[in-house]
Amino acid sequence: MFPDRPSRSFLDLGVLSRLAGFPLFARRPMLGSVSGRHPSPHRGSSVEFAEYRKYVPGDDLRRLDWRAYGRSDRFFVKEFEADTNLRCCLVLDTSGSMDFGSTGVSKLEYARRIAGTIGQLALQQGDAVGLTCLADGIVRNIPPRRNPSHLSAIFDVLEQAKPHGQTTLPPVLHELAETISQRALVIVISDLFVEPEELRSCFQHLRFRKHDLAVFHLLDPQELKFEFRRPMRFLDMEGGPSIFAEPNEIAERYRKAIGGYLESVQEVVRESAVDYHRVSIDESYEQVLIRFLIGRTRSKGVR
Amino acid sequence: MSFLQPMILAALPLVALPIIIHLINQRRYQTIRWAAMMFLLAANRMSRGYARIRQWLIMAMRMAAIAGLVVAISRPMAGGWLGLAGGGKADTTIILVDRSPSMQQADVGGGGSKLSTGLTQLARTLATLGSNRWVLIDSVDGHPRELESIDELPRAPATGPSSAPADIAGMLQSARDYIKDNKVGRTEIWICSDDRANDWSPDGGRWPALRDAFGQLPQGVRFHLLSYAQPARGNLSVRVTEARRRKTGDTAELLLSLRLTRQDGGEGRQSIPVAFEIEGSRSVVDVDLAGPFAELKDHRIPLEKGKERGWGRVSIPADSNLADNDFWFTFEPPVERRAVIVTEEPTTARPIELAASISPDPNIPCAAEVLAPDQIAGVDWERVALLVWQAPLPDEASAGTIQAFLRRGGSAIFLPPRSPDANAFLGVRWTSWREPTGDAPIEGWRADEDLLANTQSGASLPVGRLQVRRACEFSGGKTTALATLKGGSPLMARVENPGGAVYFCGTTPAPGDSSFASGGIVLYVMVQRAMIAGSSALGTTRQLSAGETTHDDPARWQRIAGGDEAVSTEYASHRGVYDSGGKLLAVNRPAAEESASVLADGRVDSLFRGLDFSRVDGRAGGTGSLIQEVWRMFLVAMIVALVAEAGLCLPRIARPSAPSNHAGAASFAGATS
Repeated sequence: MFPDRPSRSFLDLGVLSRLAGFPLFARRPMLGSVSGRHPSPHRGSSVEFAEYRKYVPGDDLRRLDWRAYGRSDRFFVKEFEADTNLRCCLVLDTSGSMDFGSTGVSKLEYARRIAGTIGQLALQQGDAVGLTCLADGIVRNIPPRRNPSHLSAIFDVLEQAKPHGQTTLPPVLHELAETISQRALVIVISDLFVEPEELRSCFQHLRFRKHDLAVFHLLDPQELKFEFRRPMRFLDMEGGPSIFAEPNEIAERYRKAIGGYLESVQEVVRESAVDYHRVSIDESYEQVLIRFLIGRTRSKGVR
Repeated sequence: MSFLQPMILAALPLVALPIIIHLINQRRYQTIRWAAMMFLLAANRMSRGYARIRQWLIMAMRMAAIAGLVVAISRPMAGGWLGLAGGGKADTTIILVDRSPSMQQADVGGGGSKLSTGLTQLARTLATLGSNRWVLIDSVDGHPRELESIDELPRAPATGPSSAPADIAGMLQSARDYIKDNKVGRTEIWICSDDRANDWSPDGGRWPALRDAFGQLPQGVRFHLLSYAQPARGNLSVRVTEARRRKTGDTAELLLSLRLTRQDGGEGRQSIPVAFEIEGSRSVVDVDLAGPFAELKDHRIPLEKGKERGWGRVSIPADSNLADNDFWFTFEPPVERRAVIVTEEPTTARPIELAASISPDPNIPCAAEVLAPDQIAGVDWERVALLVWQAPLPDEASAGTIQAFLRRGGSAIFLPPRSPDANAFLGVRWTSWREPTGDAPIEGWRADEDLLANTQSGASLPVGRLQVRRACEFSGGKTTALATLKGGSPLMARVENPGGAVYFCGTTPAPGDSSFASGGIVLYVMVQRAMIAGSSALGTTRQLSAGETTHDDPARWQRIAGGDEAVSTEYASHRGVYDSGGKLLAVNRPAAEESASVLADGRVDSLFRGLDFSRVDGRAGGTGSLIQEVWRMFLVAMIVALVAEAGLCLPRIARPSAPSNHAGAASFAGATS
């Protein structure tokens, strides 16, 4: 596709070619700048009939429905749905905790693959793609553009992203909800290691701004199973205090804590109508994206 | 609790192994960079009560399992013998068996006697403990004899019941001599006894010497007392106090006096059928018993015409102790009690002659003969019951004659000569005359036994009213003081002698010496008692206490009737009637056996003060070993601890209905909404 550009480690051409057949749809109307394949809140010139409207002076006479005039002796204008493109905002968590990975791949590397692939797919269908990297604040922010050269800049930022700092997802999401223009597709890729109640307000804020919010919740299998045999000293990857623990003693309570947390997150995303995908990073990201794209295809058309 | 393999207990510190492993494991921690710290912090904040208790319980179970294994391998024993086998197997084990009649008391409701129970329990216990050498000292023989195996103990003839009292101190002395002579190693001494005071003689002077002797032994000696001190509640015993043949016209009758004794705990009125058996013919008389004692005086039993002498038995119904339910006796026409008074002052001897010749019973003839010392060669000693010697002590030739008389069973009283010389008799010699001061110079006397004992009615003799104006001191020999003057010097003493009784009296009945003649009661009683004792050996029948030494060999006796099975060498210690060269001998338990006094625990402990001593109270009829190996119990405890530990280590089963359980997190497979 771009033979003169350097290959990206987080992009797999095989995966891209296989996913090329799956369109990326928005679940709600988008406000794009050009015609595209996503529904728009306005009437347009697509082939999909919307409604009849009475003629008012000034309307284009070419849009009069003469057959309706012949039947009813009144002038009606025939209106069609408008299709537009979308603005896809990729929000990538680059806090220290994203550096963890027990399967040979860190959560950040996994997030790069998802973000890069979605960005590529969105741009291929004419959508604008932007990227925001956040840790203890917004680290990098690239507004959405739809020209292919812009994608290269996004890939560069993805490639250079370093895991560092604490996770401060809620204030950053609130800020993005306000700064991104209305009706955009916001895709958050993070381990969401914050309190679920704080996430609830962020998600509802984004929904209020009519954004289509999708979340990829990345978790390592070791974080879920917590299987250790020997006593461990756990160093906080985000700079907090270390903890010494006997896994046999603490495992049960740890699993109970993370189980309760996941349950709460599930409840928050259900109430906030978030397109939520919990991902264990030992899964194939291709399968994860297929599930993501198919799921959006099913919910397409809501205007 | 004690252990057969106590050295294994040195491994008990292994109990700390789980803790050490736990600590080592904690030191071998790994460091990991971790992202999901918020859940670790939350887990730490959660309630840790049960988790902490569970961890402690798991640790405790592991330690208990190790402790149980170590203790089980140490072969623990239950039985209360603290420190029983602290040093492992003994080199020599000496078993002292009390075979006295009181040890034949059986428990109520059946079971064996104290003796058989003790032997069985000892055999089982000692078989468990083990030893290189087994030595038995029984109370009849008193000499050590080695056993091939401890299993022989209950079956050995030398451990059967007997009628003789035990001499525990003497048996311990034998044990001590054996240890010293054979130079054995570490020794255990086991004593099986019922703690009767008459067997232990706690006031005897031998105990301090024994303690010192055992304390000086270089090898360790440990004492274990298997005590069967429970009294026989309501046990009855019968004793014939007198059996006299009396001629009534052409016929004769036997006058029997007996005494029934009810031991502690017996209350209420009781009618006891007493059976009399005289050479096959039997009669029964009911005797009412209201208190602890009952007496039957001169019960008449007609004898066959021409029956001069014979034997018989008195018995009462069986009770808890069969050994004191019968009593054997012999009878014959009364023999003349004849006294020979050898004196250098016939006037001095006159009161003695009168006291000896006046019979207390008109049916029993008494006679006395006064002789000079040089006339004794012509005396018919076979007919003499008492010799009173008031002259310089006999020379060698005369002493031989007198000792033969004593060996035969005669009694002798020696009074001081006017001029004491250097001669000695049985080691005792007169020293010098002196004049005691004061009006009542007799300070004390033995009122419980021997010549100056109280009368049968309990009244004491007026010994204290006697005036002793001059007294001759004596020294040497093994004597037991019967009366002492002020200042502690003996006035009258009994000399230890294997045959008849020998007394030394430090004054004479002469008016210048004492008031024996004027206050003649004491003199009369003394002389008559000595004559009765001496005449008991004169007739063709004789009453003997079991274990009493006789001058003839019991092995030559012929058994006529008896209570226990016994080997002939022990006839003198078993109740029954025996024929010894034409003489009828009735052997019975000694009178001291009637007393049920038991030594208190503290009193027994004080006898072994300073020695390594332990005791256990057994119970007649018990069949088990005194100790039992209980390693199985500890093995089971170890298994229980391991199972409990495994149960505690199992992860908690998740409730499938709980939606928010952590198992759901573990079985994560991706969630999409």
